[in-house]
Amino acid sequence: MLSKKSKYLQIAFNKSLEEVSQMINLLPPSPKIILEAGTPFIKQYGREGIKFLKGIWSEKVGNKAYVVADLKTMDRGAREVKIAASGGANAATCLGLAPIETINEFILNCKNLNIDSMIDMLGVEFPFEILQKLKTLPDVVILHRGVDEYENNKQKQVSYNQIHRIKGTYNNVLISTAGAESAREVLSGFFNDSDIVIVWRSFYENPQNTKEIAEEFLKLIK
Amino acid sequence: MKKKGGFKGFLFFIILITILIIIGGSNVLILILSFVVSISIVIFILKIIDGIKKLLNINLDANKQKTVGIVEKESVKINPEIYSEPTNLKNTSQNKLEKRQKYLHIALNNNLTEAKNIISEIPDSRRILIEVGTPLIKTYGIKAIEEIKNYAPNNYIIADNKCVDLAPREVEMVALAGANASTCMGIAPIETINSFIEECQKYNIDSIIDMMNVPNPLLVLKKLKAVPNIIMLHRGVDETHFSKEKQIPYYQIKQIKGSYNVFIAVAGGDTIQEIRKAVFNDADVVVVWKSFYKPTKNILKIANLFLDEIK
Repeated sequence: MLSKKSKYLQIAFNKSLEEVSQMINLLPPSPKIILEAGTPFIKQYGREGIKFLKGIWSEKVGNKAYVVADLKTMDRGAREVKIAASGGANAATCLGLAPIETINEFILNCKNLNIDSMIDMLGVEFPFEILQKLKTLPDVVILHRGVDEYENNKQKQVSYNQIHRIKGTYNNVLISTAGAESAREVLSGFFNDSDIVIVWRSFYENPQNTKEIAEEFLKLIK
Repeated sequence: MKKKGGFKGFLFFIILITILIIIGGSNVLILILSFVVSISIVIFILKIIDGIKKLLNINLDANKQKTVGIVEKESVKINPEIYSEPTNLKNTSQNKLEKRQKYLHIALNNNLTEAKNIISEIPDSRRILIEVGTPLIKTYGIKAIEEIKNYAPNNYIIADNKCVDLAPREVEMVALAGANASTCMGIAPIETINSFIEECQKYNIDSIIDMMNVPNPLLVLKKLKAVPNIIMLHRGVDETHFSKEKQIPYYQIKQIKGSYNVFIAVAGGDTIQEIRKAVFNDADVVVVWKSFYKPTKNILKIANLFLDEIK
């Protein structure tokens, strides 16, 4: 389970298993760095992919290894949470755009299986409206700018202004921001009070770069 | 090829001239006229021959390029150790849906052993489409699609990957695994849906837009650059289970068909009455799934009834 007092850097993996093991070697071992099995990664390798990531990261940071399964659940909340949990994930994601029944079912099952529930607000204009409708609050809310959105429309920005609004109303929720691609964007995520910042892109273009981001991040939070 | 054409043209020309000279006799005017006419006739015939040749060549080349493209991509992008090469990689033109035909779309969601059993028992028909459900893909990964394609090499296979981001990556994955169609959510960012449809066209598979939780599908369709192949009107499993009052919006079928040339798929529940209702409302594809607690026989019965009753 994530602590509210700490900041986390989440690194998303979307490529092949081989590349993943190479890249994990570059990362400094720290429980503040959490790994994500990206959606394409899960769709390619399934539950085995999650197990692999969890295994390889546990070797490095011990039993504090934290892995997020980016399921992006849209339906069958209960079933998908089970898949992630049985693969050893510590958290799973559900889309804010999914039917409310699915999100409720998802959060409930995450609680039952003792993993963190993350609601991904990709494409949601007013995350508040969704949070208000839920029976119970999720552990984490992800503010998201999609990859395809960004590629085709560079004007779309991560909506940092939502962070304080959500935290002001729901003080038990952690906020995660996705879509950062440079050290500067990572920093601005933390300055704007997000608890988790997700990086992925710079990782493939320059793994060394991510290593530096990770080291800088660890220095910053000390 | 050019030389041959020139030689043929020359022969034609000589023959025509001699015929015209014989007919025309000594009159010089007629001789000149016949000369001009013969030249134009020869040019016309040559152009027609060229046109036919070009058409044939383009078709041949296109086929060649497609297969070469797929093979090259595969060898570059996929790690051979992890990715076992699927046996049925290419999508044949047979595996496209036909207008005025009704299809039954069976979604497999539980596990691969059960999927294999169901496939071995359902009647062999091109009107039965097989879906690799989202839970199967998320459990087994791309292997689920390859295995099911192996069990049912002649069926149209739908990968229900429910794409919401990174469309190019997902379409490539499922197309190379042998799927004939892939799904993308209607609630995804428009940029994602556009790039999804574009990629599907590139890989020659059908694009399905799943309108789950979209109140008005027409509003989404209007914003798109290209029209997808199939629109799926969908009521989610959790929605159905927890809010029984939610209905499948049958009235939208005609609405969409009135403005767009697309197939409509409807998740029609799992009784033959509901399937009849969907077909009556003009759905082209009716989706059924086997609920975890219901016996396999149920779905086989539906498949048989569907093939018998609905033509």
